[in-house]
Amino acid sequence: MAALAQTTLAALPSGLVWQADRLAQSAEAGIATGFAALDAQLPGGGWPRNALIELLSDRPGIGELGLLLPVLHALPADRWIVWVAPPHLPYAPALVAAGVPLERLLLLEPGNHAEILWSVRQALASGGSSIVLAWLARADTAALRRLQLAAESSATPLFLFRPVSAARQPSPAVLRLRLAASDGELAVDILKRRGPGLAAPLYLSLPQRPGLRRIPALNDALVRPDPVRSAAAGIHARRG
Amino acid sequence: MLWFALILSDLPLQVFTRGVDEPGELAVVEHSPGARVVAATAAALARGVEPGQGAAGALAVAPSLQLRERDPALEAATLAEFAAWATQFTPCVSIDPPDGLVLETSGSLRLFGGVTGLVRRIRAGLAPLGLDAAIAAAPTPLAARWLARTHPGRQLRAAAEWWRKLDDLPVELLGDGAEVSRATLDLLHGIGARRIGDVARLPRDGLARRQASVVLDTLARARGERPDPRPWFLPPERFESRLVLPASLLHTEPLLFAAGRLFSGLSAWLAARHAALDRCRLQLEHEGHPDTVLEIVTGTPGRDDGRLLMLAREHLAALQLPAPVEALRLLADNPVVTPGRTQDLFSDPDSARDAAALLLDRLRARLGREAVRTVHPVCEHRPERAWRLADPGRPAPHSTPPATGPRPLWLMNEPRALDSIRALTLLRGPERIESGWWDGADMRRDYYIARAPDAALWWVFEQLDPPGGWYVHGFFG
Repeated sequence: MAALAQTTLAALPSGLVWQADRLAQSAEAGIATGFAALDAQLPGGGWPRNALIELLSDRPGIGELGLLLPVLHALPADRWIVWVAPPHLPYAPALVAAGVPLERLLLLEPGNHAEILWSVRQALASGGSSIVLAWLARADTAALRRLQLAAESSATPLFLFRPVSAARQPSPAVLRLRLAASDGELAVDILKRRGPGLAAPLYLSLPQRPGLRRIPALNDALVRPDPVRSAAAGIHARRG
Repeated sequence: MLWFALILSDLPLQVFTRGVDEPGELAVVEHSPGARVVAATAAALARGVEPGQGAAGALAVAPSLQLRERDPALEAATLAEFAAWATQFTPCVSIDPPDGLVLETSGSLRLFGGVTGLVRRIRAGLAPLGLDAAIAAAPTPLAARWLARTHPGRQLRAAAEWWRKLDDLPVELLGDGAEVSRATLDLLHGIGARRIGDVARLPRDGLARRQASVVLDTLARARGERPDPRPWFLPPERFESRLVLPASLLHTEPLLFAAGRLFSGLSAWLAARHAALDRCRLQLEHEGHPDTVLEIVTGTPGRDDGRLLMLAREHLAALQLPAPVEALRLLADNPVVTPGRTQDLFSDPDSARDAAALLLDRLRARLGREAVRTVHPVCEHRPERAWRLADPGRPAPHSTPPATGPRPLWLMNEPRALDSIRALTLLRGPERIESGWWDGADMRRDYYIARAPDAALWWVFEQLDPPGGWYVHGFFG
């Protein structure tokens, strides 16, 4: 019986039936993430072009931006790269070094939660943005639903940065990734995608993260409770 | 020659009603010497209010009637705005007081698709302005005016003896748009002249003897037998238009409706000048309160009134009105001449560049300029000064940052003091940043890249000057 079902399904034209053990074949090719391992796990072979994508992480500094840097390079030059309510200042020298086109960067600091949502929807609906990154501390399902619809109808990807606790909340996002750092790599847990869940996280090594080793001597020295201060000296002439 | 006459019937009323969708029961009164109704809305007329009636009488038949004092200055200004609007059809526009325009259109008739095409264009343009005009065309301006008054929509062609068609018009028209006095009209009426044709048949020397030669002169001008030169209207260098609301308003939607009328006028003024602009000022006038001024700035010069209205909507949405609005005033100057691009600069919705400019305008209008920025690098060693906020869309300055180590993608607004760095693992450093001795904001710091317990990478530094201590300054996001 099982064998019969298998053949019957296989005989059907592709695309009519989605089998749960396969990745959905997106009608539209995604935007290459810049990470082959990640592309292989995403339907469409990359970031979906017109969808809400949730990136869940709690603390800055794990490489959450590094994940998007490859995408930020390869964007059309006549549209904005919109950042809505980032938690810290995007540091211009680092962005330049990473090749982010600053003349396309739009940094929005809306005054309140409602204006954040409004700005995101405007950025999507206008057709004037190639990508929207937004940081939301909280959002109800209805608000997320509206954002997903806005992203869908505008053909603009919306990356929503949310706390890990949001994973418990249902979301209309097409793709949900939980990010964590691990040993100099970024651990990416695919919580939701069009297709089966992924058992183990992916480990991506981010190009922009300095390859780093522990500085043994220094760390040992710093274990001292109160570091010995050197005399005030410097290579420059000081006051007085 | 083909002259169009555009007569704003009930102009004293229209200046008040053009700003609202449903004017309701409204009448305009004039003191002559007692307050008398000059004009009233359809709703007021239906209640029994009549022009010429005393104000008290009008209130007696319609207790809910709103009365506005006639405002001749506003009428004149509206007529000038109307003339500026009409210059998009022909440069030969002349104001025909008290309530009309005459347009000489023989030069541009073909462009607009003949008389019917032009009439259609004029009608389509009138609606957004909120004005209602009677239109007629004839070979002379006076004839066109009289036709518009009596037979709106009619046109007389310059065929043989076309002026015979004027003979049927009532004799009172001689006083309309010409200097024939009331006394002369009464005189004509007294001798039995009811139609213009009757006057034409009167003995000429007899008329001249009774100081009625102005009648003959007027007739000759209307028939085209004597030249009737008109001063051409010159659109002002600066756009200024005011719209008085029939009743004061605190609500955004009706204000937007009224503002839309003004933007339509501005758009036509720009179209006539082949110009565009990137800023204008909308002033909301309150009673006993300073005006609320909205600076409407677009990213790129344009003349699309819809776009301006959309920006005004964002401004108004973010606004707390201090008092009810009595009137609106729109001011604009310094238009940019845009040769070569006709009609609508923003007619191509596919253009990503326009969409991007529009988005920027809209965000700025709602959030304010300070909330819509970008960051640029500054050639400077001190991290706090190695960046600055800038207006979006300009290329970042081409600066070669000083040779440095890796920089974090996130910078904290203020370095945060760390109690201890025991939990951190220092991975790279130190990079000494010692700078600024010349401007008082000097620093001596050793920067490290450190790994936090959750494996996040932090940018930390040790303060080398007293009081010393460790700080986290950024994150390698």
